[in-house]
Formats: sequence, structure tokens, C-alpha cells
Amino acid sequence: MAVDLSPGSVFPDLRLPDHSGSERSLSELIGGDPMVLQTYRGWWCPKEQAFFRRLLALQDEMEVGYARIVSVSVDPPPVAAAFRAGVGARWTFLSDPERTALTALGLRETTDTVNHPYVPAVFTLLPDRTIHQAYDGYWFWGRPTVDELVRDLRDISRAIRPDWAAPTA
Amino acid sequence: MSAAPRTWCWLALVPEAPDDADAAAPVHDAGGGSAGVLALWRRQGRPAREARRVDVRLLDPTGPPATVSLVRPPAGVSLLFDDLAVQEARRRVLAGPRFDAVTTLLSDASHFEGAITVARGAAQVARLRDDPFARIFAARVLTVGAGALGTLPAPAGPTIERYGSANPWPSDRFTYG
Repeated sequence: MAVDLSPGSVFPDLRLPDHSGSERSLSELIGGDPMVLQTYRGWWCPKEQAFFRRLLALQDEMEVGYARIVSVSVDPPPVAAAFRAGVGARWTFLSDPERTALTALGLRETTDTVNHPYVPAVFTLLPDRTIHQAYDGYWFWGRPTVDELVRDLRDISRAIRPDWAAPTA
Repeated sequence: MSAAPRTWCWLALVPEAPDDADAAAPVHDAGGGSAGVLALWRRQGRPAREARRVDVRLLDPTGPPATVSLVRPPAGVSLLFDDLAVQEARRRVLAGPRFDAVTTLLSDASHFEGAITVARGAAQVARLRDDPFARIFAARVLTVGAGALGTLPAPAGPTIERYGSANPWPSDRFTYG
């Protein structure tokens, strides 16, 4: 039975090696912050490269905004590390070359019978991994814009930060 | 109401092993000469004049030996933690390959007091020469015996801000009670 990945559901606590080969859990990586969780086909896909440029545009704001990004693919750690370095990403990449999480999540892109990759998808998560929004990126225009991600991060931050309203005197 | 978990502890390179440290190990320089003792304390109050705050996860009395890059400002020099050079060093740490541990050193809420990068294995030790914090102040590469330094998960990224100005980066969450 496929995992429910619709808004309001809890995203499974993945355990996968990161780009350096160290096993990481999603709950550890998310800490107490909002998260943008992205699955992507692989470094070789021009649509993924274009979407990474969008995430990179957001990275400089996220580094001061107390929010996190995690990217997941079937690329093994050395390949993920090289792609990460090549695009200039400063967030964690998770590797699922055995496709264990891909299978459990039901996110295999069935139209690619060569690479058997993740279908492109984006989820914005609360710190308890509750899904705030889910975006199906099979068609490129299904992916969130920077403005949509900022809106999601604002909504989540407003919900989880007890001091969202600035303390004033 | 229970106390929030502590995100920092004290670290100092001192001449002799303190009786009250929670972890300590002998330190040697590149030539093999004694360079003192690296000590860490969980206590609230500053245990020694030269002690600085570091990420509490660094303290591990069972930690194996390590080679470290210890960056400290020259005497009398002060640099804001939010200085652009310190921001860029944090970005470079996130962008680069992982070390067993990295933490900045703090003495107050405003100033950068250096950093310690912990390497184990030939590949990590070789990369210590590229310590991003060594572009700000000079680094000493030292070997530290067993019983002091743990291993931290690599920072998740891309956050370079501290989670509260009292907390050394990369402590990665606020201490809401």
C-alpha cells in the first residue's frame, strides 16, 4: 500500500546515506525547522538542473531564515557529492541507490525504464514531518516557484515559532 | 518545567589537566612536542580565563584520538561573529566535504573567537590545510589524545546563522523549553 504523501500526512522518517556516505535520518536533518524536501531524477536531467538553480536562488535567504533543504535521488553518494559541489549547494543530499525508500514511498518514475529514478516532487514539511504542501514536478511547471516556497516557509514558521510576533515594548 | 537542553560547553587548551573537567586529553604539536591539554566542561560558569563556548556535542570522554585545526584570534584582536569573513567561512564549511566535527568558539553573544575542526583518517587530516576558518586567523594543527572529542553530524545546511547568539554554530536548534 502506497504511503500517503498528501498535505496533512506525516512524511516517513527516511534513513539514507548522505552525500558523504554517513547515514542520516530525516528527523535528525529537519531538527526544529521547516524543510523543503525534494526528490529528483538525477544530475543528468536538464529539468532538474534548472530546478536546482531555483533552489540555489533561495539558498542565500534560507541560510539566515532557519529553514532546511534536503534533496533525494538514486545517485550514489560520490555522484551526489559531485553534483552538489558542481551546482554550489550547501545543503544535504541523500542517496538511495538501492531504491529502498523510493519503493516504500511509491515515487518511482515508471516512464523511465532505464534509470528507474525518483519522480520529481517537492514537499514542504513541518518539524514533525507533517506535509504542508506537496508538488508534483513530473511536468516542470508543477514544481513550486521561489515565491510559493517562501509562502510555505512563512506559513510553517508562523505556526511553529512561538515568538513569530515580534516582542516589542 | 524542565530545563532546556544545553547546546554548548566550555573548551580550553590549558597547560595541565584540570581536576574538574568533564573530558580532557593531551595535545601535541606537529613536531611531537607537548602542547598542553585540551579540556572540556559542561558547567555553566567559565572554568578558565581562556575557555570558550563550543557545540556541546563535541564533548565526548570516549572519543578517539584526532587531529585538529585550532583557530584562535591573536591577543587583543576582536572580530564580530557576523563579520562577512566569518559568514563566508561558515558557507565554505557547509559546501565542503565533511569533517568529524566543526564548531565555532564563542566568549559572548557578539564575537568570533575561533573554531576547532576535528579530523580523523588520512583524507580528513589532509584537508585540514583547507580549513575555511584558517583564512580568518592562523590555525594550529595539533594531535589530541583519546577521551575528549566526539563526532558531530555534518550540519544539515544551508543555515549559517546561530540558533540564538549564545549558541556556537553549528548547534542546530533553538532551546525552547
